[in-house]
Amino acid sequence: MEKKLTLICDKCKVNLTLANVHFSYLDHNFRHKVLRCPECGQVYLSEELVAKMKEVEATFEDK
Amino acid sequence: MVSDGEKIIYETESLCPVCLRKIPASRVKRGENIYLIKNCPEHGKFDTIIWRGKPYYEDWIRETEKVLPQKTITESVHGCPFDCGVCSSHEQQACCVLLEVTQRCNQHCFYCFASAEKEKSKEPGIEEIRQWYQMLLDIGEDRPFNIQLSGGEPTVRDDLSEIIRLGKSMGFPYIQLNTNGKRLAEDVHYVERLKRAGLSAVFLQFDGTTDEIYESLRGQRLLAQKEKAIENCEKNELGVVLVPTLVPGVNIENIGEIIRFAVERLPTVRGVHFQPVSYFGRYPDAPEDSDRITLPEVMAEIEKQTGGKISIESFQPQMTGNPLCSFHGSFVYMEDRGIVSIGGTAGSCKCHGSKEDVIIKARDFVAKKWTRAEKKACCSTSYPLSDLDMYIERVRDYGFSISGMAFQDIWNLDLERLRRCKIHVMNFDKRVIPFCSYNLTDLQGNPLYRGR
Repeated sequence: MEKKLTLICDKCKVNLTLANVHFSYLDHNFRHKVLRCPECGQVYLSEELVAKMKEVEATFEDK
Repeated sequence: MVSDGEKIIYETESLCPVCLRKIPASRVKRGENIYLIKNCPEHGKFDTIIWRGKPYYEDWIRETEKVLPQKTITESVHGCPFDCGVCSSHEQQACCVLLEVTQRCNQHCFYCFASAEKEKSKEPGIEEIRQWYQMLLDIGEDRPFNIQLSGGEPTVRDDLSEIIRLGKSMGFPYIQLNTNGKRLAEDVHYVERLKRAGLSAVFLQFDGTTDEIYESLRGQRLLAQKEKAIENCEKNELGVVLVPTLVPGVNIENIGEIIRFAVERLPTVRGVHFQPVSYFGRYPDAPEDSDRITLPEVMAEIEKQTGGKISIESFQPQMTGNPLCSFHGSFVYMEDRGIVSIGGTAGSCKCHGSKEDVIIKARDFVAKKWTRAEKKACCSTSYPLSDLDMYIERVRDYGFSISGMAFQDIWNLDLERLRRCKIHVMNFDKRVIPFCSYNLTDLQGNPLYRGR
């Protein structure tokens, strides 16, 4: 049976919750829902999201 | 060497168009424009426009990374450009290497690099091409060069799919086909074979959206054939880059229409790559400056003919090679907003890990922008580009590029530029020769390298 994983902020020891976060890169702005610590505001970026960011970056960068 | 009102802004070297002797040359500013001026002690002065108007030369030029070839093939003995192969004085790794798989052609054009000197060379067999690929792997690094299959007209070969399959199996991630599109239009099964073999993209000779343009440049009415070739690529989900040769008095006024034609055919058409005409072959008299269109003029015409939807500011020089050789811009088409620029501003990205990363990124950049993505169901066409997932999806299908590349001929040849050349050609004797020296001819049409 699949287990639901809960991520906990290492610093604050509280569960991360989904929040809308704004990213900015080379004058382009994006929003995306990511897991965030409600106490200190640190966010967790999954590997999947990082791969997406890399794809987005590649469309902006100079040849 | 310069007259009143002129200012030398860069000292370089060139060749005499008559005797091919190496001679000093200068980039000279006269008014808003830049000229290449050179003097041969025997054959006199030559003066050629190289940069006209906005964006101004001073604003455009910038330092770019030199990524030296990891392995050179020839020794630097006689000096640039007489030792190409590439030699130890070359200052740039290749981004793309051209393989001329035939010298035969099914079209006879007035403007053609390949027909400047029609040598009767033997067509390379599969084993010879395998050796070419292997050599390119041996002199390259982890990320193999991008490959362009060229000619002649490569599609006259029935075994072209085998050549593509071989290259892919040996590890070349990106192989594009340079073609006039005639066979692609006539034989959809041939297109299917190329796609199945792993062809990445089609670099389609496409000079404009009227038959008069083709009659003028190619001697035939070819628009329907070009449209059919694109349709057959669409059927096989193959990306197409439109490649217009721009000739003053013929198709300059058609630039905006070419871009509209491309946008209407997204996502099959992935971009437009403009190539201002250059003069190879026999020209007893120097071409007039009015016979030339320079890169800034192409950018200015794009801005003018798209009603400002694509501005000059959306274009940047390349990060590698010489900034005078090319421009590019990235865009996405939105049904509610039209064309939106998504490129960074010039010099904005400082995120390369090492010098080698710059050229690897350049290879990946070209491969990604010109390869059509796998078909995916797309949703609404007016969603916000600020949503990460939607942005990725929209750019994958409706992103496109507009770029331009200025090739050098014997009149405007600048050896500082040539040493930074990153488009190379595999010669039959396995020397890898920068494109602009490979195609160079003196004014009688005698080549420096091609066929030698």
